[in-house]
Amino acid sequence: MKKYFAVSLVAALAMGVVVPLLAAGQQEFRPPAGPTPRTPSGKVDFSGVWQKPYVPDMTKSGKDQQGLAELPFTPWGEAEWKKYDAAEGDYTGACLPFGMTRSVNTPEPMQIMQSDRYFAFLFEQNSWFAVVPIDGRPHRTGIPTWFGDSVGHWEGDTLVLDTSNFNGKTRLDTIGHPHSTELHLIQRFSRPDLGHISYEITVDDPKTFTRPWKNTRTFTLRPDWEMMEYSCEENNKSLWEGRIKVPKYPK
Amino acid sequence: MNTQFLMIGALLVGAAAQPLSGHHSFAAEFDASKPVTLKGTVTKLEWANPHIWVYLDVKDEQGSLQHWQCEGGPPNTLTRNGWTTNSLKPSDQVTIDGVLAKDGSKTCNARTVKLPDGRSVFAGSSGGDNPPPPKP
Repeated sequence: MKKYFAVSLVAALAMGVVVPLLAAGQQEFRPPAGPTPRTPSGKVDFSGVWQKPYVPDMTKSGKDQQGLAELPFTPWGEAEWKKYDAAEGDYTGACLPFGMTRSVNTPEPMQIMQSDRYFAFLFEQNSWFAVVPIDGRPHRTGIPTWFGDSVGHWEGDTLVLDTSNFNGKTRLDTIGHPHSTELHLIQRFSRPDLGHISYEITVDDPKTFTRPWKNTRTFTLRPDWEMMEYSCEENNKSLWEGRIKVPKYPK
Repeated sequence: MNTQFLMIGALLVGAAAQPLSGHHSFAAEFDASKPVTLKGTVTKLEWANPHIWVYLDVKDEQGSLQHWQCEGGPPNTLTRNGWTTNSLKPSDQVTIDGVLAKDGSKTCNARTVKLPDGRSVFAGSSGGDNPPPPKP
């Protein structure tokens, strides 16, 4: 432990630079090693607090995430993308729900809790959650929502979450890639070892894209982190002082 | 190992793990083409989600005090990066490197803060989403 900190300090002071920016890459957190954990019923257990790569733009690739550089837009999707300007309305800046993809995209951690019947995302971003039945029941029908309606099933040791019935008020990522109410997401979770989740998300939206496309990511177990409260509304000065605008949605 | 040594170590280690904020679109509020360096005196630190805000008095070229405000990262992220509510205190002399808000107010998005002890630390900027390339 002493050596760990000493090396960090010496390296930073020697370079005399912005400490954390250049420290990235010098210090790599190593999660605990071990075999894939399982629940008492023998299913892969995804429980834990997970560090996720920040993905503000799903066309980019980076550490622990692979994007798709050229999205296969339909003419409608292309037009939606070209006309988007967050300065005209930024729903996450206004503390409205991020929706499924942007919640997973955030740099804040998420906790997963799991039973034989349910898989629960506990997102630190704005303290939101999404509970997914994984016991084989069909999709619910009803009013479309920000996070959509999710159900899950197992394909061997891979848990597959299928989400639809979105309200169309969200964006896929921070930079603003669009989707329609026809959005259908498929999220695949596998856990090759104790410390990692291999994650794949497929975006299927025939109104916006000519074919389904994917992002893949690696999540890292953080037993040293605890989830923290996150009130988006508490001090959202940027909205109150008019630098961020609430989008105008059709009613 | 003394406390100060531990704190600096925590800053370094944590920073490698949690660099950014995803709360809002950076491009909606700030202009990445307008960098600013503010050297002044901290008057207040607001430690609350979704972003911390640092208030500082800065002397302009004519020597008169101007009141500035700069957005940093979320307290949660900054805590994991080693920040505390006492990392910046009123009367601290700091230098903030950031970018200006689009609305022309004395508002900035802080990328780095140079602390009174000379260390420059990352402020958890929301600038992970650079403005998109021009659309044809």
